[in-house]
Amino acid sequence: MKKVMEITLGIVTAVGGFLEMGSVATAAQAGAAFGYDLLWAILLGTLCLIFLVEMSGRFSAVSKHTIVDGMRERFGFPFFAIVLIGITVVLFIVLVAELAGIGLSVQILTGIGFPWWAIPVSLAVWFLMWKGTFSLIENGVSVLGLVTICFIVAAVKLHPDWGSAAHGLLPTFPGDQKAKYGFIAVSILGASVSPHLMYFYCSGAIEDKWDESYIPINRVIAGLGMTFGGVLSMGVLIAAALAFRPNGIDVQTFEQTALLMTTALPKWGFFLFAASMLFACLGAALETSLAIAYFFAQGFGWNWSENLAPSKNARFAFTYTVIILLAAVPLLLGIDPFQVTMMSMALTSATLPLAIVPFLFLMNDPIYLGKYRNGWLSNSVVAIVILISFVLAVISIPLEIIGG
Amino acid sequence: MRAKLLLLVSVTFATACKPPAPAEQLDSALSWIGTAEMAGAAWVRHTTPDTYTRQTLELSHETLAQISNDLLKSPPTNADTAALNSVLTRSRGRIARMAALIAAKNAPDFARELDSLRVDHKIAKQSFNSIESKQ
Repeated sequence: MKKVMEITLGIVTAVGGFLEMGSVATAAQAGAAFGYDLLWAILLGTLCLIFLVEMSGRFSAVSKHTIVDGMRERFGFPFFAIVLIGITVVLFIVLVAELAGIGLSVQILTGIGFPWWAIPVSLAVWFLMWKGTFSLIENGVSVLGLVTICFIVAAVKLHPDWGSAAHGLLPTFPGDQKAKYGFIAVSILGASVSPHLMYFYCSGAIEDKWDESYIPINRVIAGLGMTFGGVLSMGVLIAAALAFRPNGIDVQTFEQTALLMTTALPKWGFFLFAASMLFACLGAALETSLAIAYFFAQGFGWNWSENLAPSKNARFAFTYTVIILLAAVPLLLGIDPFQVTMMSMALTSATLPLAIVPFLFLMNDPIYLGKYRNGWLSNSVVAIVILISFVLAVISIPLEIIGG
Repeated sequence: MRAKLLLLVSVTFATACKPPAPAEQLDSALSWIGTAEMAGAAWVRHTTPDTYTRQTLELSHETLAQISNDLLKSPPTNADTAALNSVLTRSRGRIARMAALIAAKNAPDFARELDSLRVDHKIAKQSFNSIESKQ
């Protein structure tokens, strides 16, 4: 019974915590610009994420190490430092986007511009980190995030042509706007295969004291939780394709995205969107801040646990405090949050090899995993998706920047 | 060899770093008219807050003004500039009036402007499609 509860809670957490600013922005833009054509990118990203999350949980449960511990031990500090810098920069930009998402959700409800919310929002996130426990962040906020299921309801209520949607699950070459198509595909992959989830998930496995008996539970949570999460993203894309495309709307701002469900759910659509984004971005901001703090603390060998009082792991608490405050600065300066989000997701894609390749080496190391090390299927799926994502990123990011 | 490579890179960047093409500008203009129409329709159904709708209409108006300026500075080839200017100016005017009508809480006049904007949107779409087909 306890295991069933753990699986249920794990799936609920995975579903409620799946969507965030990046996944909604990229899926909405994809649906508005290319209809169902980019559904394949969500499918591919979700498939890769299922394997990565399963691998992260298995690694921690068997080796009793986090990925960061393993990376530093196996490859040495100089290599780890390069990964640390690269991943921290990308995760920092992602955190800025998530904080912006919370600010924008409050902005559309109150009419007060998001820069004014930068400090209150950052303080709220910091306060939850300072006072909260790991399970509050993992379960509490994710349960609130279940409101994002409304995206699937909206998509279904708009009566999509399921045959065309199924066709979108296969990659196609666009007739025109090739750079934009590639850039959005890369951004979707970056939003789906977000490395912060791996660091967060494996650290959580250590916080929750997982052992080898958790391997089947881990597999079910990763498989079902991420699949349902991917379906949510697809719901956003399908709703955008049906709500925006007929009106010729090319989504470039959050204000436009907020209209996503006003046709499908006329009475509550707007407010459900605001609530969904508020909780989804809050959950993602907490997870990203924690992932950065975990990365530093585990990498430098400091005490770390979200379940300990800040006085017991001062450097860990100091790291997330500084990161959250710094992330408020671009918001105060009035950056374009939508562009930052799209760029952060594309950069995540471009840096995936830095995060994933060393992890694949760890997952094949018998010293850490013994008989539980990766099989050919896990290695192949992850390696292929990372390669596709990296190649697309290298080609499309410069084209998108040059093309304005 | 190095000089040739440098020249090639410079030419590539010089030709690539260009402002959005007129076709993209036309699509963007249609997108913002569509946004105003969708936000307006939601407000008429009382499903979006006044402030959000007004701000979205103002954003549409500002962005449309910027796009119109750019389009008129370098209009698409074979385009009837006067007709293009007319439909964009009319749409901008309607969107500005809709934003003002929200502040005045005048729903009947707002609905009338919205209907007219829908007609303008259709005209703009046909006109832009014909321009794009000539490109």
